[in-house]
Amino acid sequence: MKDINKTGTNETIAKGPRLSRRGVLTGGLGLGAAGLLASCGDDDSSSGGGDALKGSDETNMKGKSVAMGFAVIAGWPPSQLAIELFPDFATYAKEKFGYDVTVTKTEAPFAELYQKIAPSLASKAQDFNLMVVDSQWLGALSEPGWIVKADDVYKVNPDLDIEVYSSLVKNTYQVYPDGSGVRWGFPQMPDTQGIFMRLDMLEDPAEQAAFEAKYGKKLPTTYEEFAPMTMVEYEEIFEFFTRPDEEFYGTALQYAKEYDFFSCAYHPYAYATGDIWNPETGEVIGVLNTDEHAKALEYFVGLQKYQPPGAEAFGIGQMIDLFNNEQVFSAMQWLAVGLFMQGNEGALEGKVIACPHPRFTFADGSVDVIGAMGGQPWVINSYNDDDHMRVSIDFLKWWYTDETQAKFIAKGGLPWSKKGVEAAGFEESSVYARAFKEMLGEGKSRDFWHLPEYAELLAIQQEAYNGFAAGQYTDAKKVLDFIAVKQQELLLSKGRTKVAIPDDLKGITL
Amino acid sequence: MDTLNLAEFEAEPSPKGRASARAGTRDSTKSRLLGRALLVPVLVFFAILNVIPTFWMIGLGFYDYTLGRGDPKFVGLDNFVIIYESAEQWATFTRTLFFMVVAVAFEVGLGVVLGFLFWGSAKMPGRRLALTLLFTPMVVAPVASGLFWKLMYEPTFGVINYVVDLFGGQKIDFLTDVDWVTPAVLAVDIWMWTPFMILMTLAALGSVPTAELEAADVDRLSFYQRVRHVIWPHGKFILMLGILLRTIDAFKTTDLVLTMTGGGPGNKTEFLGVALYRQAFNSFDLGRSSAVALVLLIIAIALTSIYLYVLNLSRSR
Repeated sequence: MKDINKTGTNETIAKGPRLSRRGVLTGGLGLGAAGLLASCGDDDSSSGGGDALKGSDETNMKGKSVAMGFAVIAGWPPSQLAIELFPDFATYAKEKFGYDVTVTKTEAPFAELYQKIAPSLASKAQDFNLMVVDSQWLGALSEPGWIVKADDVYKVNPDLDIEVYSSLVKNTYQVYPDGSGVRWGFPQMPDTQGIFMRLDMLEDPAEQAAFEAKYGKKLPTTYEEFAPMTMVEYEEIFEFFTRPDEEFYGTALQYAKEYDFFSCAYHPYAYATGDIWNPETGEVIGVLNTDEHAKALEYFVGLQKYQPPGAEAFGIGQMIDLFNNEQVFSAMQWLAVGLFMQGNEGALEGKVIACPHPRFTFADGSVDVIGAMGGQPWVINSYNDDDHMRVSIDFLKWWYTDETQAKFIAKGGLPWSKKGVEAAGFEESSVYARAFKEMLGEGKSRDFWHLPEYAELLAIQQEAYNGFAAGQYTDAKKVLDFIAVKQQELLLSKGRTKVAIPDDLKGITL
Repeated sequence: MDTLNLAEFEAEPSPKGRASARAGTRDSTKSRLLGRALLVPVLVFFAILNVIPTFWMIGLGFYDYTLGRGDPKFVGLDNFVIIYESAEQWATFTRTLFFMVVAVAFEVGLGVVLGFLFWGSAKMPGRRLALTLLFTPMVVAPVASGLFWKLMYEPTFGVINYVVDLFGGQKIDFLTDVDWVTPAVLAVDIWMWTPFMILMTLAALGSVPTAELEAADVDRLSFYQRVRHVIWPHGKFILMLGILLRTIDAFKTTDLVLTMTGGGPGNKTEFLGVALYRQAFNSFDLGRSSAVALVLLIIAIALTSIYLYVLNLSRSR
């Protein structure tokens, strides 16, 4: 076809069959939709499993070379220890099973690691044969069938099913759905919350005298004295050490919007008051947005008065910096981070005390400790081929040997097994080991949502809570109403609850 | 007047001429085919990286699809209805619009003024060095700039607060204070992109014929008259192109904000690009985020059309 336009100065020449704009758009949409559906088909290309779940024997892997891919959390040494200790595993594998194995590490911070592994798993790839993941991702990883059910591995490898220290380990790092008892994860590194304080300042006679003069009581100095103290009792100490003229402050907590920083720091205050949702019915409204919770939120945010400026952006890293730069007397922090709470170049070595999270007075009048659970499990890619599946199982068997666990703990890891936590000398092994052990006890800590909607639920509350901490929103109850409605709307749309949003809260905005 | 007979000019070609014409046609066909063949890699590249993903995104916008939560479900316009009815989405849109208007206004104002100053300072010693330094922010990756300014704004050890403190002022939490965070991010965007508008202004001024400028000198035109009657008619297209590019770019600002504030505190700096990023890569709600992306695309096209319309309107007058 030739179309020559001689009327204007710009000559348009078009050759070949012309595609109309509508045709292009319709075709494109069709292509997109068809491709999308095709990509999400039911083609199951997973091959690992069955016999491979037993791991290797003396013959089936002999002479082979396997390149493994591990996904681990960046900037988190206990997660990286698997890579650091890998050469030992390679030697073990060669000696015991006769194969050569190498590892490639892929790492990203907490928030970004899921972004890396999810698309790969969704495409049924085996880029990451073994992954260290956050406990809350268990639902998101297990529901689509991306990871191997740990129970299937335990069935053929009962030696891997090691007795845990408390049900917290199982419920946090292994089980999904909550309460089902079905295990998907293998504990890698447990973690609990506590408070790090400057022991040298507490023991300073001048500080002791000044505190006694001001408050009419002795400044506590020992673990035994601190452990039973409530948050309200701690406040006097925070106030005492808050000296803005010297740019020195009483404490530091996490209020950052990033990932789960605000939520994990705040949840103990919420747990002491009630719950954040009803896992049975999926209701958030009426559970989270109570007057008591609003008071707890106000109290938690009010603690900023003992903290350096910019607390709204404090996360794990900032807390370490503030403590090590000697800008704060204390920091409420994950206990596993204790490895780094030693001051710059170890300047605070021997000058730090770590205690369990301050206690709360519960609604029934009882006084007890409650914290949030940290830590991560291992999960195995269900699309691993037989060789990679065998090596993954071999690795876990090696990882859980007493010898490897001892090395892991010596390098800053923490134990989760009954045997490990109750080992003689563990409490004295580090400044924070005793507090960690106490917080890992039955009922002392809690984890939250393992649902696939975790990221969305979290984003809703992180943004609103952080806005409240920064003063963008000033009504705590309204903030909780908003979070409760948005989270329940989400759960409703995903079929996790059948409870509709009450009319008076529909369309709530901040 | 005699009518021109076109047929007179269409003389019958000689056999040699016909052969030569055929050879010419063959050569021309060959050269055209070669030209098209050379285009193929670029077109394939363009189709794979641009066209297919765009149509894919458009298609996804009509599905309820979250990575790892089962097969996509066709929901028609549901995603768009949710976006339309979402108060948060509208608030995000309003914030983005405010950011875009203020950023572009300052960048254009400062860029044009500085551009004129540099244009008129051809003999200034160190002009080239000054220009190079001035353009540096523009060539630095936004993530690097974001980190750099995040440290500058830091309330405890940041250099800006050090200066504030030095002069007896009270330290400001620039990136966590709800009143300061938007101006703080805006200032960085303006710092980054004003050089671009200087560059566009210099290009626009460079497009004005010297003869016309000399004529304006001879006619002793005032500065305003010179700008209106000589510079503007020649330079407006380049300048408007600069404004258009900045508008679209400011509208989809993401990397700078993500690095500096993560969209916070609260949602104070959660612009459309940031919200889209969160929805797509934190929640993996690919259906809804594709719908948001499509809306963003339509807005960008609309903005382009408005500029082009304004330009064409002034030209037709």
